[in-house]
Amino acid sequence: MCTRHPGFLVSMAFQKLALVEDIPAGRTKFACAGDFPVILANWEGRIYALHGLCPHQNNPLEGAALWDNLIDCPYHHFMYDVRTGENYFPKNVYPQSYPKLQEQVRPLRTYPVELRENEVWVDLA
Amino acid sequence: MGKVARQVVEQAGVNVNVLLDKLLRAAGAEFTTFYYYTILRVNAIGFDGEGLKEIIEDARIEDRNHFEALTPRIYELGGALPRDIRGLADIAGCPDAYLPDNPLDMKKMLHVLVEAERCAVRTYTEICNMTFGKDHRTYDLALAILHEEVEHEAWFSEYLEEGPSGHFRRGAPGTSPYVRRFMSADIG
Repeated sequence: MCTRHPGFLVSMAFQKLALVEDIPAGRTKFACAGDFPVILANWEGRIYALHGLCPHQNNPLEGAALWDNLIDCPYHHFMYDVRTGENYFPKNVYPQSYPKLQEQVRPLRTYPVELRENEVWVDLA
Repeated sequence: MGKVARQVVEQAGVNVNVLLDKLLRAAGAEFTTFYYYTILRVNAIGFDGEGLKEIIEDARIEDRNHFEALTPRIYELGGALPRDIRGLADIAGCPDAYLPDNPLDMKKMLHVLVEAERCAVRTYTEICNMTFGKDHRTYDLALAILHEEVEHEAWFSEYLEEGPSGHFRRGAPGTSPYVRRFMSADIG
């Protein structure tokens, strides 16, 4: 299992992480670039790449469902927008007056994606 | 634990440890939601809140019923509830349903409620998908809970004017029309 955090990332640049057919529309695929986790998602035919650990408790997003544009963490159902990495739920209902809660709903880091023929390349730099 | 009860599920191709993790998270979410809905119900007052109070109570009691119905199945399959209740809260499979900053803002409260129910609907759909045709007893239980969670979502969604569902509130608070047959406790 790859569990490395973005803070540990040295320059990795573009990495080939999957084939396009591995990620059908409406699905996600968990991938490892070495020991660095990435979650790939196909929303409406476009493939997005985000960091593969949920910022809530650093659980891997392997097996995450995709509901429209939202990645759903399988552990506690925290949900993130694939386009921006922003937390949607529970940030949309958590009270602002608890700073500790706001720390739990930090965004997922997003990465640029390039399709090279039928291969998915992700810029992890 | 039921030795054969677990064995038949394993032999049907279900990873019982993964299933137990999902059931424990679901039970944790039901228990914490029961707690948080108590706070929400207490605060549902005023012109808008009084009308909302009774359906929060239905959902609150039925979520407690779901916790009670899930627990025997967890032990049958060889699992156990965490000995420390804090451990149960930490693994709860849905975010906590906190009281909004302005407790008199019923629209905010409704959003808390409807999102909590949507999380529950996703949770039991996953368990049904995992057990369908393989673990008949867990599937039957998860489906019964799913029926009630879908109704809870509809109640709150209708309050937000998202469209009609055709459902109506319970005749008495929290009667759990689908889950009550799995309950060992008297629910009235």
